[in-house]
Amino acid sequence: MDKRVIFAVAGSGKTTYITRQLTEDQRAIILTYSINNLENIKTGILKKWGFIPQTIKIYSYFEFLYSFCYKPFLSYSYRARGINWESNKERFAENDARYIDTYKRLYSNRIAKFLEVKTVIDDVKSRLSKYFDFIYIDGVQDFGGYDFNFLKHLVDTNLSVLFVGDFFQHTYDTSRDGNVNGKLHADYSEYKQKFEKMGLTVDTTTLVKSHRCSPTVCSFIANNLSINIESARDDVTATLIIEDIDQVASLYKNASIIKLFLEQHYKYHCYSRNWGDCKGENKYQDVCVVVNAKTWKALKAKKMKELAPLVRNKFYVACSRANKDLYLIPEDLLNNYLNPQPSKSGQLSMF
Amino acid sequence: MSYIKSITLKNFKRFDEFSVEFDPELNLLIGDNEAGKSSILLAIDLVLSASRSKVDSVGFEALFNNDAVTHFLNNGKKYEDLPVLYAELYLCEQNNAFTHGRFNSLTQNCDGLLMEIQPNQDLSLEIRDVLKQEDNNFPYEFYMVSFKTFSGNSFSSYSKFLKHIFIDHSQINNDYAMREYIKSMYHINALGSEKRTHQNEYRKHKETYKTTVLAPLNNRIDNYAFAIRTSSKANLETDLTITEDNISIDNKGKGKQSFIKTEFALAKGSEKADLVLLEEPENHLSHLNMKRLIRRIKEAKQTQLFVTTHNTLVSTKLNLKKSILINSQTTKPLLLKELSNDTAKFFMKAPDNNVVEFILSKNVILVEGDAEFILMEAFYKKETNDELEGTDIHVISVGGTSFKRYLELAMILKIKTAVIRDNDGDYQRKCVDNYKKYGNDHIRVFAPSDNAKYTFEVSFYDKNKANCDALFEASRKSRTVLEYMLDNKSDSAFEFLDKCAADIVTPYYMKKAIAWIRG
Repeated sequence: MDKRVIFAVAGSGKTTYITRQLTEDQRAIILTYSINNLENIKTGILKKWGFIPQTIKIYSYFEFLYSFCYKPFLSYSYRARGINWESNKERFAENDARYIDTYKRLYSNRIAKFLEVKTVIDDVKSRLSKYFDFIYIDGVQDFGGYDFNFLKHLVDTNLSVLFVGDFFQHTYDTSRDGNVNGKLHADYSEYKQKFEKMGLTVDTTTLVKSHRCSPTVCSFIANNLSINIESARDDVTATLIIEDIDQVASLYKNASIIKLFLEQHYKYHCYSRNWGDCKGENKYQDVCVVVNAKTWKALKAKKMKELAPLVRNKFYVACSRANKDLYLIPEDLLNNYLNPQPSKSGQLSMF
Repeated sequence: MSYIKSITLKNFKRFDEFSVEFDPELNLLIGDNEAGKSSILLAIDLVLSASRSKVDSVGFEALFNNDAVTHFLNNGKKYEDLPVLYAELYLCEQNNAFTHGRFNSLTQNCDGLLMEIQPNQDLSLEIRDVLKQEDNNFPYEFYMVSFKTFSGNSFSSYSKFLKHIFIDHSQINNDYAMREYIKSMYHINALGSEKRTHQNEYRKHKETYKTTVLAPLNNRIDNYAFAIRTSSKANLETDLTITEDNISIDNKGKGKQSFIKTEFALAKGSEKADLVLLEEPENHLSHLNMKRLIRRIKEAKQTQLFVTTHNTLVSTKLNLKKSILINSQTTKPLLLKELSNDTAKFFMKAPDNNVVEFILSKNVILVEGDAEFILMEAFYKKETNDELEGTDIHVISVGGTSFKRYLELAMILKIKTAVIRDNDGDYQRKCVDNYKKYGNDHIRVFAPSDNAKYTFEVSFYDKNKANCDALFEASRKSRTVLEYMLDNKSDSAFEFLDKCAADIVTPYYMKKAIAWIRG
C-alpha cells in the first residue's frame, strides 16, 4: 500500500503519470482540484482505453466533498441546497450557521470541517475503503485551509494514495478560511514536511523535467522566479520581451497565438485566457503572456521574487504553457484594444 | 440477484407509518379489501420507476394519507407541521456507491432508493398564503416529488437499478396498464443497442411506406402529402404488442391475458427482471389455469416476487410461510415466517381449507364437524339474540385433527380462537393435556367434561331430546334416534335447523364458548 506525494514541475506529465498508474480493473477514485484537470484526466483515460472503466470514478474535489461525503451521511438531516463559493462574512457565526448560509447552502471552504464537526469522517473513510483501493489527487498544491486538514483523513485509510502537485502552481484561494493553515504555502520545505507528517513519502525526483517547456523557457522561469524547473528536451526556442508597438500589434492580431492576461481577459477582443485559468492546459504552441504594469516593473527590475505569491505563481503557470516560443508584452501597450462597453447603440443600429 | 430487503412508508395512502421486511424470493401479501396490499405494490412500483408522470397520474391527493392531512388542517395549520410522504426501499448489497449511504429515515448505512413528496421550499411564500386562508385548503399544488438514492443523490427513470414488472390483474381491461406492461417487457427483453436499432428502423419503414405505398396518392395532391405519424404518441413503443400464435394479447380473453402476462414475465430466459409485482393473480383465472400459474411462480427463482391475494389456493400452494398479513385495523404487518414447516406443508396439501378466512379474522370459533358448523348460527342467535353474520366472529369447520395447525397460526397472529371439540371419551387427555402448550389468553378449548358425552350429537340430543324425538322418532325402526343422528350428522342437523331452530337448546360447553368469544 504505497502512500506518496509527488511534487512536479509544469509540463512534466502529472496527468499522464496518473493515467499510467491506472489499470482497467483497479477500483480507483481520482480527485482534481480544478475542472481543467478533471477534463485532462478524462481525456487521458479515454486515450488509454477509449472508454472510462466502470471501476474508475473521477470527481472534482468539491463535487466529491458534497456528493460523496456530505450527502450520504448528512443531507437527510441538513438538506443543504448546494454550495456557496464565497466565504462566510459573518465572522462570529455560531454552530451550524458557521457552515450553512441562510439559503441553506454550504460554504465551500468549510464543508471538510463540517464533516469533522458532525463526526462522519469515519463513515467517509469506510465508504472510501468499501468502493476503492486507490485514491489519486491531482493539483494537491491548491488544497488549503480545512481542505488541507481533510487530506490527512484520506491518507489515513487502507487505500493506496498518490497525490501529485506543483508547489509553485498554487493559484487558487478557494480553500482558504481565515488563519487555518494560513502560512501553509509560505515555505516549500515546511510544506513538504507537513505531507511527511501525514505519513506520505515525499517524492521530488520522479517528475522534475518538463516535457512541455524547452530549455530556453525553463531557464527563463528559473532565472526570474527562482523555481527549479529543468527541461527534458534539448531544443532551442525563443523567449522574447517585446515592447515595439508594431510587433505587439501583430502578436495581438495573430489568432494562432494565445494571449494570457492576469485577469479580465474578456475585456480584449482576441484569442485569450487568464493566467490562472489555463493551469492544466496543454494545447498551446507559442504563447504570448500579457504582463500587467506592476509585474512588468518587477520583471524589468529582476525583482519578481518580491511579487505577491499568487501573482508570481500565476505568472509561472502562464509562462509554462508554451510548448515553443514565449513572448512577453506589457499590458499598457494594449490600451487601444480594450473592448468598448458592449453598447446598446451598436445593437440598435442593426434595425 | 438484486432484491428489496424491506420497505418503509410514511403517510403513504392508508399507512401513516409502515415497515416490513421482505423475503428475497417470494412475498405473499394477504389482506382484506382496502387493507393496503395494493398500496405496497404501488409504492414499490413508483419508487423503482422514478417517474414524475407516473406519480402525477395517481395524484398527490390520492397518495397522501388522509388522516395526516386532516390532522394538519385541524391543528393550527403551521408551516413546519406540513406532512411529508416518503417510500423507502432498502436493497440488498448493490456494490454501488451511488445507491449507498444513510439518506433514509432509519439512518441505516446501506443501499436503497426512496421517493419523497414534500413542500417545495422555493414556494414557501405561496404556501404561507394558502395556509392563511380561512377554509381547509391543503396546498397539494405546492408539493413536489423527488427520487433519491440512499447516497442522497437524485436518480431518474433512466437509471434502472432494479428492473421490475408490475402486472395488475384487476386492471386487465385498462389500455394504459396493457401498454405499460408491453413496454416494460420490451425493455427487459431487448438489449440496449438493439432497442435503438429497432426504433430507428421502425421510423425508416414508415418513411419508406410514405415514399412507396403512399406515393401514387401523394402524387395526385398538390402542396400537401399523407405520411405516417412519428411522435411520442406514435412510435415503436406505442405500437408494439405481444402475440401468441399470431393473436395479439389484447384480443384474448381476460383470463388468458392474465395468464400470458404473468407467464411471459416469469418465463425462463426473461429472468432479467429482478422483481415481478403481481396484483391479485387469481382474477379472471379458472381453477386449472390458476394451478398452472402457481407452478410458474414457484419455478421463478431468480426473481423476487410480490403477490397480493385473498385466495386461499394461491397463498397455501405458494407457501404460507412467505405471507405478510395486512389487515385494515392495524398498520403493523404480521409475518408467518415463524410458522413451522409442518404446518405450512399441511395447509399446502390440505384440500379446500379456509386458512385465508381464518387469517383475516379477529375472532374465530373453530368447530370439528359439519353439524356444529350448521347449527352454530342458531346457537348464537339463541344465546345472544344477535345474528352471527353481522359480527366479526367467524365460524370455521376444520374437520378432525387439524385444530393445532390453526392454533399455531392463532398464536402468531393473536387471533382470539375458541376451539369447540368432542372429548372422544377422555376429556382430560384429549381436551386439556393435549392443548397445554396453547395455554394462552386468546385461545381456549371447549368440550364437555363428562366423558359420557363423547361427541357433539350426544350432548345435543341430551339437551334437545323432545324436539329430536319428535322430528326423527316416527321413521325409526331398528336404530334409536341418537343412533340415527350419529349416522346422519349433517342431514339431521339441517332438518333440525329447518324445523325447530327457534326452540334449540345450546349444550353447556358451547354456551361457554359463545360467551367467551364475545367477552
